[in-house]
Amino acid sequence: MTELDLSCVDAIIERIGTKPSDALPLLQAVQEQFGYLPPEAIERLAQTTECKLSGLWSVATFYDQFRLKPAGKHIVKVCIGTACHVKGASQIYEAFQRYLGIEPDEDTDAEKLFTVEKVACLGCCMLAPAVQIDDVIYGHLTGETVGPVLQDFLEQQKHTAAAPARARRGKGITGQARICLDSSCRAVGSDKVYDALKLAVVNLDVPVKVKSTSCPGMSFLAPLVEVVMSDGQIFRYGQAKPADAISIIRRHFQPVGISGRIRSHIGNLIDTLLDDRIGHGPIRYSLSIRDHSVDDYLNQQKQIATEHAAQIDPLDIAEYEANGGFEALRKCLTERTGDSVLAEIENAGLRGRGGGGYPTHLKWHAVQKASSRQKYIICNGDEGDPGAFMDRMLMESYPYRVLEGMVIAAWTVGANEGVLYIRSEYPLAIQRMTAAIETCTRRGYLGNAIFGTDYSLDLRVYAGAGAFVCGEETALIKSIEGKRPSPRLRPPYPTQSGLHQLPTLVNNVETYTLVPWLLHNGAEAFSGLGTSKSKGTKVFALAGKIRRGGLIEVPMGMTIRQIVDQIGGGIEHDNALKAVQIGGPSGGCVPASMVDTPIDYESLHTAGAIMGSGGMVVLDETDCMVDIARYFLEFTQAQSCGRCTFCRVGTKRMLEILERLCQGKGQSGDIEKLQELGHLIQNTSICGLGKTAPNPVLSTIEHFRDEYDAHIQGNCPAGKCRELIRYSITDDCIGCTICAQHCPADAIAMKPYEKHIIDQPSCIRCGTCKQVCPANAVEVK
Amino acid sequence: MITLTIDNKEIQAPEGSTILEAAQKEGIHIPTLCFAKDLKPSTSCMVCVVRVEGLKTLVPACGTRVAENMRVVTCNDEIQKARTAAIELLLSDHIGDCLGPCMVGCPAKMNIPLMIRQIAAGDFAAAIQTVKKDIPLPAILGRICSAPCEKVCRREQADAAVSICLLKRFVADMDLASSSPYRPHCAAPTGKKTAIVGAGPTGLSAAYYLKHAGIDCSVYDDHDHPGGSLRYADMDRNVLPFEIIEKEIAQIAALGIDFHGNIFVGKDVSMEELKSQYNAVLLATGTPEGDKIQANRPGYLTSERAVFAAGGCIGSRNLCIRRIADGKEAALSIQSFLLGGTIAPKPDYNHRVGKLQPAELAIFIEQTVDTVRQEPKTLNGLTLEQAQAEAARCLHCDCRKADNCRLRDLAAELDARQRTFQGEKKLFQQITEHEQILFEPGKCIQCGLCIQVAQNQGEDIGLSFQGRGFDEKIVVPLDKSFACGLTKAAEKCVKVCPTGALAMKK
Repeated sequence: MTELDLSCVDAIIERIGTKPSDALPLLQAVQEQFGYLPPEAIERLAQTTECKLSGLWSVATFYDQFRLKPAGKHIVKVCIGTACHVKGASQIYEAFQRYLGIEPDEDTDAEKLFTVEKVACLGCCMLAPAVQIDDVIYGHLTGETVGPVLQDFLEQQKHTAAAPARARRGKGITGQARICLDSSCRAVGSDKVYDALKLAVVNLDVPVKVKSTSCPGMSFLAPLVEVVMSDGQIFRYGQAKPADAISIIRRHFQPVGISGRIRSHIGNLIDTLLDDRIGHGPIRYSLSIRDHSVDDYLNQQKQIATEHAAQIDPLDIAEYEANGGFEALRKCLTERTGDSVLAEIENAGLRGRGGGGYPTHLKWHAVQKASSRQKYIICNGDEGDPGAFMDRMLMESYPYRVLEGMVIAAWTVGANEGVLYIRSEYPLAIQRMTAAIETCTRRGYLGNAIFGTDYSLDLRVYAGAGAFVCGEETALIKSIEGKRPSPRLRPPYPTQSGLHQLPTLVNNVETYTLVPWLLHNGAEAFSGLGTSKSKGTKVFALAGKIRRGGLIEVPMGMTIRQIVDQIGGGIEHDNALKAVQIGGPSGGCVPASMVDTPIDYESLHTAGAIMGSGGMVVLDETDCMVDIARYFLEFTQAQSCGRCTFCRVGTKRMLEILERLCQGKGQSGDIEKLQELGHLIQNTSICGLGKTAPNPVLSTIEHFRDEYDAHIQGNCPAGKCRELIRYSITDDCIGCTICAQHCPADAIAMKPYEKHIIDQPSCIRCGTCKQVCPANAVEVK
Repeated sequence: MITLTIDNKEIQAPEGSTILEAAQKEGIHIPTLCFAKDLKPSTSCMVCVVRVEGLKTLVPACGTRVAENMRVVTCNDEIQKARTAAIELLLSDHIGDCLGPCMVGCPAKMNIPLMIRQIAAGDFAAAIQTVKKDIPLPAILGRICSAPCEKVCRREQADAAVSICLLKRFVADMDLASSSPYRPHCAAPTGKKTAIVGAGPTGLSAAYYLKHAGIDCSVYDDHDHPGGSLRYADMDRNVLPFEIIEKEIAQIAALGIDFHGNIFVGKDVSMEELKSQYNAVLLATGTPEGDKIQANRPGYLTSERAVFAAGGCIGSRNLCIRRIADGKEAALSIQSFLLGGTIAPKPDYNHRVGKLQPAELAIFIEQTVDTVRQEPKTLNGLTLEQAQAEAARCLHCDCRKADNCRLRDLAAELDARQRTFQGEKKLFQQITEHEQILFEPGKCIQCGLCIQVAQNQGEDIGLSFQGRGFDEKIVVPLDKSFACGLTKAAEKCVKVCPTGALAMKK
């Protein structure tokens, strides 16, 4: 290996700083520079900064983001979030490994072109199973499409992106074509549709503004183009493609110039119509506002945190202001007292949306009354639950609302400095929040003398590095301080001793986001929504085996059934609902028999789940509950910081039992041992991760004990656990040989016009034959 | 000052102190494992959990600060179960034997690995002490013992067992040949007296250990000389010459033991007389012709108060070493009976790893020499060179901190079992690159106290956590060697380590 040029490390130190609290950004910058953390570079950091080698090493090896070995040229991140898991993520991961010929204990192919990693959640649950290759997201993968996806990616690399067309400026705008450019919409190509729309507008010379907007939340239709006419009428086009752009624009707008009309006229002759007659490619829908699925999806919702969804440009501050933005903040600073704001928050009954549901006013009050000249405010944007992407969407779509809520909170409690901690897997959220902070500072909503008062507040964005436990507030604070982020025992709570041992307010993104609406509309409007103890709305990421998924915001008290049936449109493929997993790895499964449970903190707790941060994954009859429990525990077990014995060793022992069960090697007494360990871990861990880690296991044992018993007998009733099932071909086989052609393990011999047979010892149970069989002649038992 | 209640007792504690500190000041025992005075609590092992009224979960006493009107319970069923489970979870992830299998296999539980290390180091005075702590007749046994210890020696798996019996004989012979053979320091006379019936291996062994505890002994035997089966049984005297028997028994007699030869108890003197003259009687009459005497182990009590029985007279005792062990154990029981204390002390906890994987065995073999076993066929015993060469073959597979391990102590205290929770077994590892210390990661409980100590001692590189969760490890950063990481703090790190993970090599 050639000797490293360490001068760039010195430049990084020069740029970032030398304090112990700079450890994480320093390491991130080094990794950015070299693609991994070379030992020489770490040593250089230890020599030239105040960070100790021991500390740097313990931090560098804690986070998933850091690599100690050089990676391949491109990184393939296979999402193993909940929604992806239930749609076969582990088969996708194996398919990549197989396709690239990567050895089992390696992660990079021989040519060092691709490194394949698992990632906790890409937050693109509606595209499940999804992968991200460098900055490009691919969705709806199958074992079959792994090759084409890699080829497509390499092909894309060769072409530089076409220069975006110049947008039409000036007067005479008669309408808008809106499209969301958030991460998950981009993942299905909304950015390309956006470019195509801009190009179409220029080419057709129509007075139309093409605008990127906050997310409509309708992931099931993404990319979604909304055409807004000057009279306010809206037309929606779901699952749009770049090629559709010109037809969409032409359908609604008349070109103004002569040349445009001519071009349009000629174009009309050769254009295909945008309708169902196009027989190939993905099914596309053209929708009007009256379309039932959209009506049902939206009408049940109440948008507070996501107010103006799909209407405003996330980073257009003027638009935010025009819609009442920063009005609540102005009133606070110029007309109200902190105590009156606190009282209003209390009367509204706002509770923390991060999972615990702690009354917000109590937290704010504790920081407010803490006697310290210096106080901090932190926004917890380390949303790491697999199957949850609410906070990402809020930060990407409503960055100003997040900031407004945060400034109000900071002012109320008397904090003058603060941090938005955002997980590194959310680059667009980091980018937009950073941009929003800059804009707000320029406009006087941040920085010195806000609204001409003597109040000042400095905020900065701090990127995490891939550790779920950092969502725990004491770990998050340690992470910001550059320490190894293992949670510490509370009390003292951060409200007394937080960042740098000073009083610190830590709230979740959604909590802050609700504040401007709450103050603008008053406590009564907020508390008018919801149940007696859970007020207002809750944002959920609705995903899994559901027809219409996406980001939804519903009033508290709505039942799970209403969400699944009315908003989600019921279960995919007309399968039967089995359970709804709420609260991710800290939550539990609410069985189908209990779907009339209303969404509020207490009811969900009683049902064995928790509100959590808002992941809601719908499971159907084909999902194995033991496998689901194993999946979640595998996640938490891998995310345990390792401090407490019960969490470190106990979750491992539980996981081993669950793995045994899924392999048909369960023993009698295993279920009781799971319960015993589960209760012990809940009862002894010092942080939320450990306290809640056993929940998915305990709740599935409670509601689906029969499935556990069946596994001990060696059966998987849902036909999911690979070691317990076998694929076979029925007499319906038409002898088309497609399964034999596609089998990656060569377990099916090609026999034209004859019934095919699967060689059981060779079969890897990847399910490809079942997916490709045109006669539905592959059965799983 | 803060007023709080611990176990229904109202106490005062300074503000900022922990529940553990407050309890310790009041003499309330809360077991701890990862806690070390003067270091920041790592609140990791969860052995010190207590219940604080009003809190949903148990909390670690070492890290929870006292608060006004706090009500703490330090011991109940729930707490006890959690503590035991914490230890059992740690044990489920613990790799290494507490004791060498040889020591476990030895009926007298002699600390064989220690003896071997002492031989290798040339410290024969210490070696004979180690031997005689458990075997009072080693020169004799060194010639006739069938050596169950060697049958379980881990080296047997690689080539051949260490010649433990010959080594013991070497130490004993050398001692007997010296001008002043080893004599244990006996406790001051307690005024208690015991009659021992039978001067065979069991009776002599009991006499040795009773005298050692300050209890006077009179040994009665129907033969004219002490030795029992050692002297009177039919055996090859080239193997066990009378000279050795004389010399070794003389060492026991020299402690001040009365021998009454040619006395047949029941005829020349009655049991009733013995019972009235002595505080206790031990029957060690050897293999009976008729019925065995009923006595229970490990107390060796008969149905009659103050009458104990051990050795061949209570059951089949084919191994001489077993008879000697009986004598020792009966002596302990008599000692507890006469001087107070429990008759059957709680047995130590012994972690056992079972059969080693080839890779694990290789680690041990690497630390030893590749020489051929000395077979005990020679009647002359070993030379000094041979003994030391044989000693160098020992794998040292026992834990160097078996006598100084908080995990082991707590496992015994909390009645923890090794196999309550079973799972993935990591491979045994041993890092030997440091001159003074050994690091065995499989015994580490990830408390991080050593990291703190290295930092406090001003180590430049020091130690660090690596990774997280179940795979978390203590390492020297950047894969550097322990020699680089611990240039001055090594000994202090060993001292603070609550388990055998960090240990001195010698």
